[in-house]
Parts: sequence; structure tokens; C-alpha cells
Amino acid sequence: MTVAAPTEAAALAPAGRGEASTGRLQLQGLTKRFRSRPGDVTAVDSVSLDVRPGEFITLLGPSGCGKTTTLRMVAGFEDATSGSILLDGKAIDDMPPQRRPMAMVFQSYALFPHMTVAQNIAYGLKLQRRSKADIAEGMRMAVTSMNLVGLEDRSPHELSGGQQQRVALARALVVQPKVLLFDEPLSNLDAKLRDAMRTEIRRIQRMFGITSIYVTHDQDEAMSMSDRVVVMNKGRVEQVATPGEIYARPASVFVADFIGRANFIETVPESIADGKATVTVLGRRLSVPAHSTVVAGSGDAYLMVRPETVTLSPVTDGGTGVGAVLRSTFHGPSIDYEVETTGGTVTVTEAGKDPRDALAEGTHVDVTIDADRAYLLNRE
Amino acid sequence: MTTLLSDPGVITPTPPEAVAPRRRRRLGAGLRILVGVCAAVVVIGAAVPLVAVLATAFAPDALPRYVEFFSSSVDLGILRNTLVLGALVGLCGTALGFLFAFVQARLDVPGKKILHLIALMPIVSPPFAVATATVVLYGRRGVISNGVFGLEYDIYGLDGLVFVLSLSLFPVAYLGLLGMMRGLDPALEEAAMNMGASRWQIMRRVILPLLAPGLVAPFLLLFVEAIADLANPLVLGGDYTVLASRAYLAVTGEYDTTSAAVYCVILLVPSLAMYFGQRWWLNRKVRTTITGRPSGSVHLMTGWSRWPVYALALFAAAIIVSIYSTVILGSVTKVFGVDNTFTLEYLKEVLLGVGVEAVLDTLTFAVIATPIAAVLGLLIAWLVVRHLRRTAWLLDLGGTLGVAVPGTVLGIGFVLAYRPERYIGDYLVFPSLVGGSAVFAGAMAIVVAFVIRSVPAGQRTAVGALTQLHPQIEQASTDLGANSLQTFRWVTLPLIKPALLTGLSYSFARSMTSVSTIVLLVTPETKIITSQVLSAASTGRYGVAFAYCTVLTVLVLVAFAIIRLLVGGGAALHRTAKSERPKR
Repeated sequence: MTVAAPTEAAALAPAGRGEASTGRLQLQGLTKRFRSRPGDVTAVDSVSLDVRPGEFITLLGPSGCGKTTTLRMVAGFEDATSGSILLDGKAIDDMPPQRRPMAMVFQSYALFPHMTVAQNIAYGLKLQRRSKADIAEGMRMAVTSMNLVGLEDRSPHELSGGQQQRVALARALVVQPKVLLFDEPLSNLDAKLRDAMRTEIRRIQRMFGITSIYVTHDQDEAMSMSDRVVVMNKGRVEQVATPGEIYARPASVFVADFIGRANFIETVPESIADGKATVTVLGRRLSVPAHSTVVAGSGDAYLMVRPETVTLSPVTDGGTGVGAVLRSTFHGPSIDYEVETTGGTVTVTEAGKDPRDALAEGTHVDVTIDADRAYLLNRE
Repeated sequence: MTTLLSDPGVITPTPPEAVAPRRRRRLGAGLRILVGVCAAVVVIGAAVPLVAVLATAFAPDALPRYVEFFSSSVDLGILRNTLVLGALVGLCGTALGFLFAFVQARLDVPGKKILHLIALMPIVSPPFAVATATVVLYGRRGVISNGVFGLEYDIYGLDGLVFVLSLSLFPVAYLGLLGMMRGLDPALEEAAMNMGASRWQIMRRVILPLLAPGLVAPFLLLFVEAIADLANPLVLGGDYTVLASRAYLAVTGEYDTTSAAVYCVILLVPSLAMYFGQRWWLNRKVRTTITGRPSGSVHLMTGWSRWPVYALALFAAAIIVSIYSTVILGSVTKVFGVDNTFTLEYLKEVLLGVGVEAVLDTLTFAVIATPIAAVLGLLIAWLVVRHLRRTAWLLDLGGTLGVAVPGTVLGIGFVLAYRPERYIGDYLVFPSLVGGSAVFAGAMAIVVAFVIRSVPAGQRTAVGALTQLHPQIEQASTDLGANSLQTFRWVTLPLIKPALLTGLSYSFARSMTSVSTIVLLVTPETKIITSQVLSAASTGRYGVAFAYCTVLTVLVLVAFAIIRLLVGGGAALHRTAKSERPKR
């Protein structure tokens, strides 16, 4: 995908590119209950969130975790059962969706099939009763910044998935919303296009500095695009943090398990001081960072160990080590090992090694855990 | 289409923001007015007449009639006649529809396009055309039965009724079954084939069991239409009396509205039961058998065994063609089959003589009623599918009363509800709408009846189209700042234009060919083509009847063309990417 020269698109952006002064979005105890036969279902359970102007926030979670319902409440398509939504400090709960200064990019794109690309993009501006010159100008900017030049008179069904996606984004951008909402917009695209669109969406969002809420179940998408990620589960917020923080210091076993891969090794912390716990794992005493809820002597603690923070060394002196290689899987850039140890099966990823030196199944190994990158968590 | 949004001034300004209570936003003012209008029409046109019938039928002086009815062998015979007629027409019509649909969807034979058109002919034909032509062709002195085979066959009675009604009503079953057969996932057949099943084994073991539940709905629908029919029993019934014709006679011959109401209630019970049974069955089925888009390609039957089936369909098609040719030839010959000299006398009588009044009146009423009915059907569908929640079923039900309630019952309801002038004290508060002294000579009642009888067709199509339309498309419009009415005007309406087209066409055809309700509402000043055909056919003036039928059919076809021209062809509905099923 070619990327438009930033100068063309910058003209559409408000002054001081990337630095939005409005668009602060606050969710306060937002709750949504649906009536259903055996009893009410709480789809969203007191979600609170403070989104800074210009921030790109992702709602991430498995299907049914309430992320889309949250987004639809922000857009105004669903009424909250309780709680409140504030835009720039003012409650907008009673504002119907058409009056909220937000624009949404739908999963199905929802382009109007009976209108051309140009008519689709101009629709919002025409509803605002802008002058013809304004509409033409807004359209030109949107079309150039989204690389849609030459497609203006096409029908949506004549476009590829990626092009439809860009029209949907252009249509949302052109009305200059304070908040952009994305409902799994990339789930209908193939993997390669998805990567390109991620970059594209992020570039445009940064350029215009529009506060964005992005719903996805794809953790890779969330990690690569977001300023902050909101991990949701069963209608509740599990953690709000930067992608790096979420990965390295997950707030719960659910988050650690949902984001990336993790080994959970049962252990009992002997002592805890200054956020560090002393544990004995696979025959070694380690000082590892611990979550604030973990207490010394608790039998409910898990040590989370990411597979890439573990190194294996074959036992050469005839000993048995702490484990043996059960299975090895070759992935190209990396090799995955499953190692049978005294603490259970541990998954280990080794990257950057010559695949011809891979450890054979059955090899006795010693296991070394990078203690600083491990994290002690409470069992749920 | 390019000028659709070119003038921003056309867009109605956004109404001031309604002060809505927290947590439960109400419908906007515009929507509330629309709901009110729709509800008012439904109440005036269907609910009030129905209540009037029920009130008369359950008044204290009516109660002994039920005892009479259920102890009189004549009356019980009428009830049995009605149910037998319904069941036989349901069976024969569904079988005929199945035959045509099967040939169309599954056989590798020539001439399928023509066969399709022939199968649709009865939809636009006036109600008496088939009955009258059948008498002329297959009756005691029939051109074919007597002239060719030398038989003296008495076509009057149950056999004739079943024959005529099956032929007239089967297109509904045909269209439904055709859609279903085309919707069957060919992958299922390919799977069976892959496992070594022969064509006929697949037919017997896979296709028929899958289609079996789908035969129930057309059966029930034809049952309802058959027992509600008034036109054919009047022309062809002979001694075979059914509830609809009995009720009609009670009103027009005996002036006994109480008996008429009682017959109506007894007719209403099976009608409503079957109609709502049919809808329930369809809804239930949707959940169990539709599992996604069909894949693979249909394998047409090519063996020798297709020919007998094809021959059967051709035979049925030949009968249909013979009937409609008789209508056309009959209108331009002195006495068709007896004296085949060419004459324009009958057409002249209809178009230039005494008939012109009826033609113009019918045309005027239909032209007034058609847009109202089509728009109303569309609006009701839109409100029901998209905006109303708890009250949706009520409006949906109200809108479909026009077909669920037999026309005769509705007509008697109009007579009961709107013939008397209503006074409060000495002041006339509601003038008589039906009968000789009615305002506008009864024209208003006729137009309302046309509208109510026509709304359901458009409503059903529109509900179907809207359910197909992904709600996110409308939400996208709302999200970009359009209020509900703007969204409807600029996004929804252009996308469901095919439904509007169908609604308009059906409404016009139904209005022009409506009999059962209308025969009770015509006055000396307002003449309607169908009631003219009825009197011509029942006095044996077949040439005139055929002339009316021909003119009526031509008018309907011309109207179809004009409607198509005005509305424009349907906008193709292309789905945007692989959208998930609408959540509703």
C-alpha cells in the first residue's frame, strides 16, 4: 500500500497536528443489563475509563466480554442501564446518536450500497448542510488522504475489501468527529491487508489527533496499535495499561493467559518486600516481581513465565537436570519446546538459533528463568 | 441517483432535540406521528369493522343462533363444505405449485421461462375470469368437455370449485416452494451423491424430507384463501354452499345482519387459526433450517424420468393457457364456442357504453388506494422491524388483518360499523359511509377497503427486505448525523425500493380485482368492475364478463409498467463484505 504524502492530508487536520485539545471521553460506572429468560444478563459491569484527548484506546477481550456493547453505548446505539458517559466533561447520556460528535467505522463497513464512494463520503457533510465548496474541499482532502483518488464514482461493491475499509474511514473522518469509534474494522480483511490497514489507521489517527476507541478480539492488533489497552472479561475491566505493561505485568491470570503465551508455575512465596517476592521454582531460589495482591506464605500464587524468557541448557555431565524435552516444534524463526519438569510442563521458545542445533526429544535439560521478566500473580 | 443528495436544502432540518427521560429514549416526534397514522388506518379499516362483527355476533339476541347453527344439518353441512373445500384446494394447489416449482428448479427441460410466466398468470387475473372460462370450456355445454369429448359434465359444485380455486391460487404456493427449492444447499445433495446415492434416492431421501415442512405453509395459506373466497362459490358453487357465500346471502338477500355476523364468526375461527398457524410455522422453520448461504451448484435431473413430470406440468400449463385464451377470445366473439363471429360489441359496451362508468370508478379508487396502501405497508414494516419494541407485534398484526380476515367478513364489518349514521344527542358526529345514502356515494369506504386489503402484501415484502438489510447501514447514517426520518428517506427507502415496487404493484392488482369486500360496499352511484363481472357472469352474459376481465387485466398490466417507470427498477442490494447476520 502506498502512503499518501503527509502534507496533503495535514491540511484536513486541525491546527497543531496530533495535539487535540478536545475529545476527552469519560465512562463512569457504565453498566448494561439485558433482560433474558432465566435472569438478567450483565453484558457490561460498571466500566470506568478516562480517555485522554487524542488517545488511541483499544477494548480487547474474548467474544461476549462486553467490548462491543460498551462501544455501542458510547456511540448512543444502546442506552446504559446505569452509569454515565462524559464528553469533554459534559454528560451525553441523553443525546441521541445522530447528535453525538462521534463517527463509527463498522465491522461490516456499512457503506451505503446505493451511493457512490463520493456520495458515501459526502453524506455526513450534506446532513450538516455545509456549503458546496466546503463539501468539495472536505471530500478532496478525505479522498487524497485515504488514497481513494480515482475511485470516487465507483459503487461500494466494485471495491476491494481494503478499499471499502478506507471509504468507511474517510466517511467517518470527513465529519471531523471528536471521537472515532472502531468496531472490529479489520476482521473481514486478509492477514496482509490487515497489517497494512493497522499502520494506515494509526497514521491517520495520529495526524488528525482524534480520540479513538477501537474494539478488537485480536491481541496482536491491540498491542501494535494502542496507546493503552483495556482488557475486558465477562463485562468487567481486567486491566487498563500500555501494551508493554499489559504484557510484562498483567494484572491477573486471565490477562496473562489472554495476551501472548504464558507458563503458570505453582509456587509459595516465602517472603515479600518492596514488590519483590522470594520463591523457589524448579530447584532455584529466585527473587521475582510480584503483584500487590500476593501475600507471603499464600498457597494461591502462580509464577507467570513467558516462554521466551526461559533458556534451556542440555545436561552434559550425565545428570538428569530438572527436566526433559517432551516435544519440539519448528516455526522457522523460532523453536518451541515442551519440557517435562518437576513443576509441570513448561513451554519454552528459543529464537535466533540454528535450527540444526535443535534439542532432540528426550534430552535432559536444565531450565533457567529470567527472574526479572517473570511475575508472581494470585490465582483467581 | 447522483442527484440524490445534491441539494442540501431538500433535507429536512433536524427537529429540536427532544427532552427525553433518562435511560429510555422515546421515539422522536416524527416517528410518533407516523405510528399514530398507521394505527389510525388499521383501526378504522380493520379493527373497528372486526369489532362490529364480533359485537353483533355475540350480542344477546345472536346467541340462540349458535344453537340453531350447530343443531341444523343444513348449517353444519355448510361448515363441512367450507372445510372440505379448504382442505382440497390446499392439497391440490400445493401439489400444483410443487409440480411447477420442481420442474423449474430441478429438471433439465426446455421452455422453463415460458412455464414460469404461465404459472404467474393467475396472479393478475380478475377473480371471475377463471370460473367463467371454466364453465364455458369444461361445463355441461363446454367447448372442450362437450364439444371435443362429448361429455355432459356438471362443473358446478365442489369439483368445479376445487379446480378453479386451485388454478387461481396456486401461484402463491409455487413462488414460495420455488424460493425454498432454490435455497436448498446443493452441498447436501453433493454429499449424498458423493456417498453413492442415485438421483431418485437423493430425491426421496434428502430433498423431499427437507422440503416436507415447507409444504405446510402453502397448504395453510391456500386453505385460508379458499374458504375466504366469495367470487367463485357465487358463480360456480351451484348447490354447494360455503360459509362465505352463505354470509353474503344473509346480508344481501335476507337483510339478516345478525345471522351474517354469526356465519362470519364461524368462518373467522378456521381462517385466523390457519393464517396464524402458517405464520407460526414459517417463523419456527426459519430457525431450524436456514443455515447460511448455499454453496456449490444445482444438479439438474437429466434422466428419462424427467419427461413424465414435465408432461404433467405442460398439461397443467395447457389448461391455464386454454382458460386465459378463452377470456380473451370470449371478449371478441359473439358466443365463444357456439358462434365464433368476431365482434367488438362487448368491448364497446365496457369501454364506451354502460361499463365505462365502472371502469373509471374502479380505476380512480385503485389509483387513490394504491400509493396509500404501498406507503402504509412500507411504513408499518419499517416501524415494526426497526423502531417499535414492545408494541411491534400489535402493529404487525393489525397490518396483516387485511388478508387474515376473510374479505366477506371485512365487508360485513364495514356494513355493520359504517352504514348507520352515528348521533350524539341530535348532532351527527359520524356520517354513514356505506350504502345508498353514504357520503361520496360510498366511495370512501371502498377506498379504505382497498387500502386495508392491499397493505399486507407490501408489508410482508418490506419486512423481508428490511430484515435482509444490515442494521449497521442505517446506524452508519444515524452516526453521521441523520435523524430517523432522514435515514429512512436517504438510506432505507432507496435500498428497499424493490419492496416498494412490489407493494405498489400488488396493491393495484389487489384493488382492481378485489371482490368479496367490495360487493357489499358498492352503491348505485359507485360501480366497480368486479361487481359488474359478477352480475354479468351470474346472468349468463359471458361475453360482457370476458370483456370486463380483458380490460381489467390490460389495465393491471399497464399499471405495472407505469409503476415500474415511476419508481424505477430495483436498486441492486449488494452486501458489503461478509456481514454477519443481523441481530434481531
